[in-house]
Amino acid sequence: MIIDINFIGLIIASIMASAVPLILASCGELITERSGVLNLGVEGMMIIGAISGFALMTVTGSLIIAIFGAMLAGVLISTIFAFLTQTLITNHVATGLALTIFGIGISAMIGKNFVGIPGKEFPVLFEGLKDTIPLLGPILFGHSIVFYFAFALPFITSYFLKKTKIGLIVRAIGDSPESASNQGINVRLVRYACILYGGAMSGLAGAYLSMIYTPQWIENMTGGRGWIALALVVFSTWNPIKILIGAMIFGGLTIIQFHMQAIGVRIPVQFLTALPYIVTIIVLVVISRDSRKIRLSTPSSLGKSFHKDN
Amino acid sequence: MNTNLKISNVTKIYPGCVANDNISLEFNSGKIYALLGENGAGKSTLVKILSGVIIPDEGKIYLNENNLKLNSPLDAKKNDIGMVFQHFNLFETLSVFENLIIDSDEQRESVREKIDAIMKKYNFSIDLDIPVLNLSAGQKQKVEIIRCLIRSPKVLIMDEPTSVLTEQETSELFLSLKKFSDEGILIIYITHKLKEVMQLCDEVAVMRRGKLVSVSEIKNENIESLANKMVGQNLKTIKKKKAKTSSDQLIKITNLNFTSEDPFETNLMDINFSVNRGECLGIAGISGNGQSELFQVLSGEIISEKNSIEFNNNYIGDLSPQERREYLMAFSPEDRLEQAAIPQMKIFENVALNNFKSSNFFNNGLINENKIKEHSKKIISDFNVNTDNIELKSQFLSGGNLQKLIIGRELITSPDLLICFNPTWGLDVGAINYIHETLIKINEQNKSIILISTDTDELLKLSDKISVIHKGKLSKIMNSEEVTSEKLGILMGGAN
Repeated sequence: MIIDINFIGLIIASIMASAVPLILASCGELITERSGVLNLGVEGMMIIGAISGFALMTVTGSLIIAIFGAMLAGVLISTIFAFLTQTLITNHVATGLALTIFGIGISAMIGKNFVGIPGKEFPVLFEGLKDTIPLLGPILFGHSIVFYFAFALPFITSYFLKKTKIGLIVRAIGDSPESASNQGINVRLVRYACILYGGAMSGLAGAYLSMIYTPQWIENMTGGRGWIALALVVFSTWNPIKILIGAMIFGGLTIIQFHMQAIGVRIPVQFLTALPYIVTIIVLVVISRDSRKIRLSTPSSLGKSFHKDN
Repeated sequence: MNTNLKISNVTKIYPGCVANDNISLEFNSGKIYALLGENGAGKSTLVKILSGVIIPDEGKIYLNENNLKLNSPLDAKKNDIGMVFQHFNLFETLSVFENLIIDSDEQRESVREKIDAIMKKYNFSIDLDIPVLNLSAGQKQKVEIIRCLIRSPKVLIMDEPTSVLTEQETSELFLSLKKFSDEGILIIYITHKLKEVMQLCDEVAVMRRGKLVSVSEIKNENIESLANKMVGQNLKTIKKKKAKTSSDQLIKITNLNFTSEDPFETNLMDINFSVNRGECLGIAGISGNGQSELFQVLSGEIISEKNSIEFNNNYIGDLSPQERREYLMAFSPEDRLEQAAIPQMKIFENVALNNFKSSNFFNNGLINENKIKEHSKKIISDFNVNTDNIELKSQFLSGGNLQKLIIGRELITSPDLLICFNPTWGLDVGAINYIHETLIKINEQNKSIILISTDTDELLKLSDKISVIHKGKLSKIMNSEEVTSEKLGILMGGAN
């Protein structure tokens, strides 16, 4: 049997494509959590992004407005979370869960009129170069701009946290908001910014799903990807590069199990569907098992409210 | 240039307490000033006002005749006021260098050069690229000091800086502070330790209950006069009578080890000691050298090997705190509001938490409230807890009253052994005296004590035998008459 080498390239490319929303949402949530805020509303923000992007695309016809509109929608809904947790000092966990429930509900309501409408084709870059290199051609070329951005993001995030002043401040606040405040850092402002950034990335992840990956609106179309993104952040021990690995494993197993089902491998479908979730978490736990490193990279103040009193 | 700092009519009121009552003070560079007072006297509030962390209700601050508006720590920094906090303001998981550059706008390289120059000048040696949590308390303090010095401050405020230091580190710190003072930095030194004031400072301001009591030159004062000003009454001195030595062994620890996975904790290595009836064993050491782990192993919060702890001829190493209590052990942990009592629960509920089978606090799973309340009232009157409301939530008790309640709760069942960890930490002198008297009384009743404490004077006063813990290892056990605080200091620093 001859396997077309470009076919393997296409499979790898499809794995990467399915990893994109996870990478985007995880890297956003990673910044939020590094500042000490636990936002469990990723799923809700993603689905709001998905419907906003799709609706704006259908209504305005502009892809640019749709993409940025979806990010803005993520920012807006995360502003609610930021206001509640940072200004009114509510509990992070409860507020985040409420945000997800709210997001799923409101997206279904808005989305009612958009069910069954076909999406638009999203332009891809370097289409012509696809056949120039065997194997690597389909992997490297012919993707959307969001795709390239997503694969650059973990490296940008890593650089931001390690090398920039603001990244240092974000990590410092995650370590000890009290000390940061005593150093004259405006803890609330930085945390607001980190929450809104996380919202924007989740919104973009949702828009990718509804506009590029499967260009249509289906109710509840994020299908738990927001929760996986959250899990990736924790099990990667707040390391953007490990998020990339985890997202690829998850994406890979999702795609492969589809193919296995199609070929008719005699393993129960339920098991195959569950496989990506289990394996991703096992792999991340194994590569991040150094307890000392975990302690050093875990934001000590994660999920704790900070209230400055005078 | 001469620096002049003036505090004028500063008042800060919290609900139920006047932390600073119309304080006016003046400082000039070239001298080292002490701000002396007990815990809760308002010293920390005053210096937090100077460093912009707290905004006063009334009053003004002048630096060289300029009225300063200190609305945030940033304002204090901009006006060249540096402060080293009592509880370090460091980011434990960041590297030393990252801690130092976080508030600087300069290039990393130029800050690094500056830091190297400062470390060379003052003989500090700290690895800049390891996380802060790997540093000793003394090194952490140096990091805080360097952080201030980078900005070449005019005023340097030190809030209770020696509470975590050894004698040697303390004298090193004093040398540095004198150097800074000679270079024209105005030093304000906050403490409740009289010896240090006499050793280091030129002038002293004493605060009591939010009020400024006196300002005087050190040469006109002595330890007794300062103590009386600080407490507001004449202190009686407590002395322990030499206990009759019994050879009746109560508890024996053999080859006890504890290895932690947590880099914030200390491993215990090969701990061996024994305590006889009627004896007090003191365990000295700088905080963070395994005291907390040792306390938890002894109390059963951390389970160890069954045979490693022998109590009253029973092997109890694998028992929980509750089970150990039934063998007549009692515990008073360091953190009163986190470990010993639950702040949101009422006094009598906290009393009930320490549930002995014999106490009949519970009938068929139901709470016998009357019984508990009766019991609580007895503790309150027997142990001088200054409240008659047993429905009060524990968080509203002062530290001294809460500690009396906790010790009372532990002692009312007359245990054979009391294990306490920093029992007088942060208390006022009156409460400290009371606790000390109580502990002496326990020994007189032929009961034993293991006293883990970072306060050397307290240990020398109360212990019959003393050992020092350093990096999770115990020194040999010494008779307390043979020991001096200098000798303890050397052992605490890790020398043999």
